Amino acid sequence: MFDSVTSVALGSALDGLSLRQNTIANNIANINTPNYHAKRVQFEDALAASVSAGNGYAAPTVSTSQEPTQLNGNNVNLDTETLSNVDTVLRYQFAARAVGDEFTAIRTALRTS
Amino acid sequence: MTFDAIGIAGSALTVHRKWLDAVSDNLANINDVSRTSGKAFQARYVEAAEGSDGNGVYVKSTPQGSATGRLVYQPDHPLADAQGYVRYPDIDLSEQMGALIVAQRGYQANAQVVDRARETYQAALEIGKS
Repeated sequence: MFDSVTSVALGSALDGLSLRQNTIANNIANINTPNYHAKRVQFEDALAASVSAGNGYAAPTVSTSQEPTQLNGNNVNLDTETLSNVDTVLRYQFAARAVGDEFTAIRTALRTS
Repeated sequence: MTFDAIGIAGSALTVHRKWLDAVSDNLANINDVSRTSGKAFQARYVEAAEGSDGNGVYVKSTPQGSATGRLVYQPDHPLADAQGYVRYPDIDLSEQMGALIVAQRGYQANAQVVDRARETYQAALEIGKS
């Protein structure tokens, strides 16, 4: 019941989005740090592959941005990070609601007798 | 930790506030006059560095500017030496004003991150409510 592909996939999505938000927070925290390179979190492709393979679990991966840097060796772009942050918050709320609905369905099933 | 993103943004708020403090201190002392036998006011700079394991940012060191400053010919100044010179700090006003804006904007950007993080954690806390 709780280890269905849907539940596991939603859990992986929440984990990935949560890590992405922490990473964005860290990128913006280091917006003025010399020689800092922005980090990116990927998990969507791995998650899609995992779901179609009937598993649902996917671990997020973190990579370092290779974009050109400013004079101080920093390549954090505030517009990109802010957009990605808003996007991540909305996706997280969406996934959290889906998890809630999943539980509501289970609760309904438990009440039916 | 549970609410990581808020802590990370918090570390950046601290760094930017310290930077703002340093800049305002430099600006406040930009016209300090001292004797040529003494030191000029030394500007304070904040060196930021990335925290380990993606744990925000911290102030690595606070280097000080030149104590030599610049000599200015002001023979009527009470602190002037026999040749009529006094010592002023070597602080560039436009550089400090630029830093002031960058520090302020950095602070604002991180304050926004706290708001965004709060929305996410709020959503997480709603899971299981019906």
